[in-house]
Amino acid sequence: MTKIESETTKIDRETTKLAVPVRAKFQSVKRIGGWHAIGPIVIFVAILVVVAILTPAFIGGGGLAIIASSSAPILLLALGQAMVLNVGSIDLSNAAIGLLGAILLALTLGPVAGLSPLIVLLATTAFGAVNGLIVAYAQVPSFALTLGTLGIFQAVALVASGRTTVYVSSNGEGIHALYESGIANVPLTFWMGVLVAVSLWVLLRYTRIGRGMTAIGKNESAAIFSAVRTRSLKVLAFALSGFCAGLAGIAIIAQAGSASPTGLGSDLLLPAIAAALIGGTSISGGVVNPLTVIFGALTVALVPIATTAVGIDAQAQSLVYGAVIIAVVALTMSRNKASIVK
Amino acid sequence: MVHNALSKQSAVGIDTTAIRIRESVIERRARFRGLAEPLSLLMALAVLIVVFSLLNERFLTTSNFQNVLTQSAIPLIVAVGATLVILLGSIDLSVEGVMGATGMTWILLSANSRGGVDLGPWAWVIALGVALVLGVASGLIFTALKVPSFIVTLGMWYVGLGIATMLYGTDLLPRLEDEGLKGWTSRISFGLPNSFWVALLVIGLGILVLRSTRIGRVTLAIGNSETIVRSAGLPAFRVKVAVFAIAALLSGLGGILATVQLDIGSPTVGSGVLFIVIPAVVIGGTHLGGGKGGILRTVLGVFLLTILNNGLILSGVESSYQSAVTGAILVAAIVFAAWSQRDRLRVAK
Repeated sequence: MTKIESETTKIDRETTKLAVPVRAKFQSVKRIGGWHAIGPIVIFVAILVVVAILTPAFIGGGGLAIIASSSAPILLLALGQAMVLNVGSIDLSNAAIGLLGAILLALTLGPVAGLSPLIVLLATTAFGAVNGLIVAYAQVPSFALTLGTLGIFQAVALVASGRTTVYVSSNGEGIHALYESGIANVPLTFWMGVLVAVSLWVLLRYTRIGRGMTAIGKNESAAIFSAVRTRSLKVLAFALSGFCAGLAGIAIIAQAGSASPTGLGSDLLLPAIAAALIGGTSISGGVVNPLTVIFGALTVALVPIATTAVGIDAQAQSLVYGAVIIAVVALTMSRNKASIVK
Repeated sequence: MVHNALSKQSAVGIDTTAIRIRESVIERRARFRGLAEPLSLLMALAVLIVVFSLLNERFLTTSNFQNVLTQSAIPLIVAVGATLVILLGSIDLSVEGVMGATGMTWILLSANSRGGVDLGPWAWVIALGVALVLGVASGLIFTALKVPSFIVTLGMWYVGLGIATMLYGTDLLPRLEDEGLKGWTSRISFGLPNSFWVALLVIGLGILVLRSTRIGRVTLAIGNSETIVRSAGLPAFRVKVAVFAIAALLSGLGGILATVQLDIGSPTVGSGVLFIVIPAVVIGGTHLGGGKGGILRTVLGVFLLTILNNGLILSGVESSYQSAVTGAILVAAIVFAAWSQRDRLRVAK
């Protein structure tokens, strides 16, 4: 009896020994190739089909163009956020930087005209780089640091704008044209986001810099030991987040012609994070695809429209929004039974 | 002597005296470090109080003192829950949503200007029940589905706000009509505002839970190493759900008190609380990674931020600068705390 028992346990042990690596291999294949690339697109298309069936006029009436144009600032912020998430950090200040950029743009377009967007982009990139420098060299948790700088940027925006809406006084035509003119009925601001996404994809996929960033997100200690320049790459990721935030600020001005410290832009932080996550970015770092983030942003812009189309009360929108964020991340997240989730 | 005798008895015969001395030095240093951080916070508080009382004679009056205590009561209550969650190594962003949902439920079930039912004390029970459901839902999704707490509670923030907005509907804003409750939070009994007494009770219970209950001890252990907790057979799953439930209950209590203080029901009753609570926990010295910190430190953090904001307003600084001050202090605190531990190979997320 005992002999048979010990034999079976032996076999059991052997099969499990075999089974574990095989299963792990399967999972990793599934994770990299399959769901992560297609998931965000499937979700967007599924919601879109539901909307199209319930309100056929939406697709015919240029609804897609509306979604694309309203998603432009979210997309730009989400791309920056995705780059920071990829190195295993988070940037809670990027929407505030974007808003500050929009206010600076509205203030400076009159006096310095064409130079203004350049100044704004330089400034926002520098703001992001400062975040990155502190995170990399003082070795503080990015969550707490960017929460702190979020407060600082918010206050600067309030003071710079004098707590009121700032309108573009003159020379606004060039910027406004970004929203007015477009390709395939979709404003240039959205295509700007797509262009940034493609460039970031190339950066991440084919360059040493991008591979290094992903390596930091996957295992920072290993990256340090492999002579990856972790500190400069982290600074670069945060600087890119600031740069994207500056572009989002430009998109806001192009769309609205004005910026207010409490208006469009101040509520973009959480939708942008949601867009990055729905777009398949891992919150713990090392997994990102800027191209699917585009669909993440489109999904975020589609949810409010979809809820109204399905006939859900406008008041329930944020409820649905919250539930969708949880559900989508729960569906697309790669998880491992033994892993610890914080 | 005894040590020497013991080491001689051991089979290998290694002299462990040096190791023991080293251990006791490390222990003493750790004890000193545990004291030094709260002490430096207390000193910062003292400096602030001295500076502000020199700048404005209204600062050091009894009425302003009571004012500061009333202002700090709600953040204190919410921060106790937030500390527990952060000690797990997780984060609770749903604070403002839970506050809104609970506050709206409570006022609609109490005597208010919209009429409707007046359930009296049952309104408290049902409203806190809503908070409990939201908290347990967060906890279950976090533990069972393994969705990071950042996302779960971010979603739950919106869900709470959605519930509050639906309850608010399109009617007139519900005004509190119970004369006994109006202004209850800032009324003084035994020298302190009522809401502060509630906060003191919550802080006391929180410390008790953390120090001497299984939930509290396992919470700290999970923050240190969940792998070890699990392999030791401790109930990590249940404790995590319980901590999120407690945090949501405290947010809910804060939401009801904020509604009483505001006199009106509003879905955004909790707006801005998250930006006080999380910086306060971090400034207090609780590690965002979990396992290290405590409730009393958070209390110091909340006081530091409230006194600073109160003092700045009394000194005539525009309120636009408030968030910058909170932010700058947060940045300074974390840089200060991390500076001595800098190491090329250290990983800070």
